Amino acid sequence: MKRLYERFKVVMLTLTLCSFTLLASAQQAKVQGVVKDPSGLTLPGVNVYEKGTTNGTITDINGIYSLDGLSNESVIIFSLIGMIQQEIVVGEQTIIDVVMQDEMQGLDEVVVVGYGSVQKSDLTGSVASVKMENIPMKPSNSIDGLLQGQSAGVQVISPSDDPGAGSIIRIRGGSSLNAGNDPLVVVDGFPIGYAGDIKQISPQDIASMEILKDASASAIYGSRGANGVIMITTKKGAKNTTEITVSQQNTISEFTSQLNLWRDPALMAELSNEGRSNGGFVPLYIGAEDANGVYYPSVKELSDGSWPYNTRWDDVVFRNPVSNNTNVAVRSQTDKTQFSLSTTYFTDEGVYIEDDYSKLNINLNVIHKLYERLTIGTNVIFSTGDRNNNGGLAYWRNPIFPIYEDNDPTKDYYLIGAQDFSHPLALTKHRSNTNEFLDFLGTGFIEAELLTSLKFKSQLNYKFGRSITDYYNPKKYTLDGTFNNGSGGINNWENSEIVSESFFTYDKTFNELHKLNAMAGFSYQYYKSRTSELKAYDFLNESLGNGNLSAGNPEKQRVSNSLTETVMYSWLGRLNYVFNNKYLATFSMRADGSSKFGSNNQWAYFPSGALGWKMHNEDFIQNLDVFDELKLRGSYGISGNQGIPPYLINSRYGQDQYYVNGGWQTAIGPGYVVGQDSHSGKKIWGGIPNPDLKWESTQQVNIGADFAFFNRRFRVIADYYNKYTTDLLRERWLSPSSSYDRMWVNGGEIKNQGFELTLEGDIVNRNDWRLSASMMFSRNVNEVVSLGDELAFGLSTDSNTGMKYEFYGNTVEAFRAIPSILGVGEAVGVYYGHKVAGIIQTEEEGLAAGLSGAMAQPGEFKYVDINEDGVIDEKDRTVIGDPNPDFMASLNMQLSYRNFDLAMFINSSFGQDIFNTKAFSEPSNQPLRWTQDNRTNDYPSLREGRNVYMSDWYIQEGSFIRLQNLSLGYNIKDLGLSWFKRGRIHMNATNLITWTDFEGYDPELGSDGIYWGGYPKLRKWTLGLELTF
Amino acid sequence: MKTLNNIIFGLIFAIGLFSCQGLDIKPKGFYSDENFFKTVEDADAALLYAYDALTLVSYAPITYYFGELSTDNCTVKPDEGADAQAIVNWDVTSQNELLLQYYRSIYIAVNRANAVIENVEGRGFNKVDENRLLGEAYFLRAWNHFNVVRAFGLAPMQRSLIDKLDETNATLPANMQEVYSFLIEDLTKAIDYLNVNRSVGRADKVAAQALLAKIYLFAATAKESGVPKYAALTESVENLYAKAAEYSGYVLNEQGEYSHDASLQNIYNVEMPNGPEHIFILSMDVSGTQEGDYSKLSKYFIPWIDGAAVYLKNADDTYTITHDGWSVFQTEGTLLQAFESGDKRRTDLLVSEIFDETGASIGTVGNGVIAYEFTRKYVDPNYEGDKTSTRPYFIRYSDVQLMFAEASANADGLAQYNQIRRRAGVSELTSIGGLSTEEFRTLVIEERQRELAFEGDRLWDLRRKNIVQEKVIQAAGLSPEDVSFYPIPQREIDLNPNI
Repeated sequence: MKRLYERFKVVMLTLTLCSFTLLASAQQAKVQGVVKDPSGLTLPGVNVYEKGTTNGTITDINGIYSLDGLSNESVIIFSLIGMIQQEIVVGEQTIIDVVMQDEMQGLDEVVVVGYGSVQKSDLTGSVASVKMENIPMKPSNSIDGLLQGQSAGVQVISPSDDPGAGSIIRIRGGSSLNAGNDPLVVVDGFPIGYAGDIKQISPQDIASMEILKDASASAIYGSRGANGVIMITTKKGAKNTTEITVSQQNTISEFTSQLNLWRDPALMAELSNEGRSNGGFVPLYIGAEDANGVYYPSVKELSDGSWPYNTRWDDVVFRNPVSNNTNVAVRSQTDKTQFSLSTTYFTDEGVYIEDDYSKLNINLNVIHKLYERLTIGTNVIFSTGDRNNNGGLAYWRNPIFPIYEDNDPTKDYYLIGAQDFSHPLALTKHRSNTNEFLDFLGTGFIEAELLTSLKFKSQLNYKFGRSITDYYNPKKYTLDGTFNNGSGGINNWENSEIVSESFFTYDKTFNELHKLNAMAGFSYQYYKSRTSELKAYDFLNESLGNGNLSAGNPEKQRVSNSLTETVMYSWLGRLNYVFNNKYLATFSMRADGSSKFGSNNQWAYFPSGALGWKMHNEDFIQNLDVFDELKLRGSYGISGNQGIPPYLINSRYGQDQYYVNGGWQTAIGPGYVVGQDSHSGKKIWGGIPNPDLKWESTQQVNIGADFAFFNRRFRVIADYYNKYTTDLLRERWLSPSSSYDRMWVNGGEIKNQGFELTLEGDIVNRNDWRLSASMMFSRNVNEVVSLGDELAFGLSTDSNTGMKYEFYGNTVEAFRAIPSILGVGEAVGVYYGHKVAGIIQTEEEGLAAGLSGAMAQPGEFKYVDINEDGVIDEKDRTVIGDPNPDFMASLNMQLSYRNFDLAMFINSSFGQDIFNTKAFSEPSNQPLRWTQDNRTNDYPSLREGRNVYMSDWYIQEGSFIRLQNLSLGYNIKDLGLSWFKRGRIHMNATNLITWTDFEGYDPELGSDGIYWGGYPKLRKWTLGLELTF
Repeated sequence: MKTLNNIIFGLIFAIGLFSCQGLDIKPKGFYSDENFFKTVEDADAALLYAYDALTLVSYAPITYYFGELSTDNCTVKPDEGADAQAIVNWDVTSQNELLLQYYRSIYIAVNRANAVIENVEGRGFNKVDENRLLGEAYFLRAWNHFNVVRAFGLAPMQRSLIDKLDETNATLPANMQEVYSFLIEDLTKAIDYLNVNRSVGRADKVAAQALLAKIYLFAATAKESGVPKYAALTESVENLYAKAAEYSGYVLNEQGEYSHDASLQNIYNVEMPNGPEHIFILSMDVSGTQEGDYSKLSKYFIPWIDGAAVYLKNADDTYTITHDGWSVFQTEGTLLQAFESGDKRRTDLLVSEIFDETGASIGTVGNGVIAYEFTRKYVDPNYEGDKTSTRPYFIRYSDVQLMFAEASANADGLAQYNQIRRRAGVSELTSIGGLSTEEFRTLVIEERQRELAFEGDRLWDLRRKNIVQEKVIQAAGLSPEDVSFYPIPQREIDLNPNI
């Protein structure tokens, strides 16, 4: 492929240079000329040398060069960093003027697509290409985070600051409800899994990433392509040299805002008493013991200073975490062999004390040309690490209680009664929960050039992953340990996967008009995962923790294990055709057969087709002299989703135990627990087979255009898409008298349509200065079109609008309700509940509003009687908010001056609603309550035991603009040392400033938009150094 | 490098030799109809699975929501969910979640019993094993079907195992005669197949006889008192009473394993599930790891006392520790008033004062520390956190004694009735001479309320005697149908075209 491409380039160059061809002359000694940039400015400092020799020079301040000692066969190479290298055969020329093209323009970049690559200019689908050298190095432990803001329509959310936490990636919205929305990740041709937690690949080892967004690009991955595909190309050997690169990054993090905790215990106590009194409960802070014997001081004791304790638990629990990332890479290339070895050691601290993560990645890559037409290669990734889980400590603990008895560190931890399981230091010291993981990815390939235009490639991939979790909950301090008299266990998980793929590629240009590229191949995939769990309770002696589980009560030792296997066979093919460098066509087809589906639907077919028109190669466009590129693209295709557990086509018995004659005995029979009801918490029973189950399928239409103006210095990419997903994999209900609750079936449809716009400009590009910027805008509109049969899926009906809906997600305990629904005609996960029109000021007002009893009193929420029947009940609920953004926009700017560069990334999201569960339970908002003296219309009174309805009062606008990243770098170029090639020092700040009206800590949340409080997001400061020898 | 190349070569050419797994994968990690029911041990495990269904969190505790909350025995705590309030207020619609939980759990248990019946009959196991397995499975099928009939009236009778989609829509029985013939048929087989063989948590011949007596008695009284749909029973009321007396008589007179326990405390001692009274008791144990394996029944009945551990005073002046509860099932005044003064079932089994470990009083019902007088029938001093071994008392000997008294309404029955009252320390009835049969039976029903209080039985007595509206004011104004049967859950109506 690569050679072919080189050849093609030579042909093209030769053609362009035809006009320069002068009269033949037998011998040439000297060639001279001027080198300019596309805007016509002369370029100084360009390396000009004869290929394969040391004969060379550089252009002077006027871009002029002159080179001696050449022959007709000599090839001159022009190279300058940031520009595309050119090779020109001297032939009969004596004057060779060269216009060097900016590498940033990327017109003839090779873009990796599934099972091959194409020139960017010949793309018909929507594919975004991200070159890692263009991304400022951010502190990121996995690849997911790096993609943020790199392509329109790609949403990257990092809701968690936990060490080692992944991100959520959505390409063009979610197209599935239950079968997963994460895009497929393919590393050097190996489909390793779904995005979200690809921790095995170090960001430093990545050369480029391609994002396949439309069906024309992703349908080649068939049943796994519906959510888009991320193709990762790792770094290979350095060009014709040996390089050793050492890079070191250190990051320190801090909270972006103050914690919202009680600092004034007297106020806290006063408000608590007020709330309990209003609710008819005995106040807590009255200077008396409760039934547990815990003394709660009175408000007076707290306010007059006689109570000795006011603990800042956040100081006990949190720290400013530091992370370290060290990478050493050796890359080398000879005529025949490319070699790369890279080692990364990464440690990360969580914001909670002793919540730690560390990881070692080793990546070895060798490609060797065995014979002229036969290349083999291997890529081996080894990754291992561990995690000490100490998250979730109680920073919210009541400040009136000390850390230790009598606040004396030599004494025991102070516990609030016998049922206190949240002492953060006690848990840190006595509880253990650690995880060790190991991953191995190995790839071997052989590539043979059977004919000049026919290649065969076969690649065998193997992946192995293992994880061991150890935990022990002691008899004291933990709930599990107290209830079970000590509880410990080991959870083992192991998976392996083999992917074997072979394909032929035929690539030929006929008559210089018809360019044909055809690919056909076969893929086999086998996946196996095994788990085992060992648990023991009732420990004799706790000093070993879970180190000796057999020390637990022999009658209470439990084991369980599982084995899961899936197989997939696929046939695939693609045809690319270019006519006259103007008209483009791509067709692809994949057939997938999966063991997850029943014999009735085991095979599925995923076709796609696309057309493109390079209008800029038409005379009538060229005559306009406006466009350097004007390309129209259109595609249609079908891809699928199979992200459901296997064995749904099989009958499955359940297992439990029954206590007989003083011991537990195994019980087995029909009926298997498939889940827990999110509302009632009761088990959901399944196990009845569905042999008709099939794939979700997503049809996608994409219409796009690429524009370039002003010598390609200004570029526009615009795309419209319409994704329509049918046969959603969902669980239907069965008649309860059947003894089964649910069964997986296909039913329901979702639509995503949207628009993506990217503007790129090289605003300044002269002498020492460069300024480039790219802006991205994307809008996705999501709609649940159908939820399948109303009865089978147990849909509810909105009595006012007739909308069919079902609840989606988990119950929020404070409301005893699920906030989100799937509603036909609405976006996925809209909020459903009551509307509030202020606060009731008089009882008459409350009664008139249709409320009664305690809910009609002054200081209560005034719910709106939507159906105007005079009563507030569940029929007065409606859609009250949408967690999906209206649009997202981002801005990337890069400025460089000589050796300095500055990069900035601004990210924003507009129009999403947040359901703020903490809108009336924080120290910041509780004092604003309604009272007789403060008859506010904004907050209700404090009343313990209030039956709170889900309402729009809790919904807040989540729009934000964030200065996500700012980095400053200095490139060390030439120190005059022979052994030193280059270096770079950089400083980086992440999550620097956020502009938002949202009241909580941070508006960037998971896709359900529910805000749970917690602690502020982190701002990260990074200092990095990179040296290449 | 050469070695590496060779390795890679080897790997790649191994692809061709790699024996590929086909697309049809046999599950290796779980049992299914393809690999189970091969041996008698399999069938035993399946039978235990059928028993285990009775421990489901959606079944065992829910029984009390209907059996107690809907009656004059208990009310629910004010902040319990709307579905529980609806049961107290006799406002149960087909949408009620608790109703659905109870209904579907019954059929889960039925299907598990059917799996045993279908896979044991005629499989060539030895006769002893086959009889034992079938007998218990038939018992369980009848037990669960009887639950559904008492709660819902005409509801599906599942006569075979359901394991395919096209079997999931059952039909309703034509009438009560069809229902009761089926129940009686199953229990007659169970009695025939089983021996007297006590095992905590399992049923034997005596349990089957007691259940059949209960079914006959229910049929007799329901038909007699004009409960809707029961007119369809072909057997006369007298004959049904006679059958009830006959089968409860077998329990009282023809076995030596179970007997009247003279000590009230012993009956409810959580460490004595094998006491003489317990003909059929559910097996749950504190050593279990998930709810259902262990029990949280105590939490439902005991009031919330700040999450503290408290001590209860015993009749012998010792103290028993217990955790506090969730105040879900709160004793009603009408039940307390039903006890004569000095009735030990109130003085010894209901708690109105709590103590600390030194015996000092922490609080009383009077001073508001305890929200209500609560029962000691579900107290486990060996509790671990929320976990206890407190078990539902399914069939007690005393229950059968009172069934016999009611069914026979003769001097023998009076003796049984008096034995119950004697243990409670209240006056005995010297003769039934001055009473009509109906009056005596009413006395027995009143005695049942006191004796079986908090054991999930009250509603079924009120229903079969058709006195719900007489005893429970919240049920006023309902139609006879609505009083006698809960509606079939909406999901069944929606999804099952046959209903």
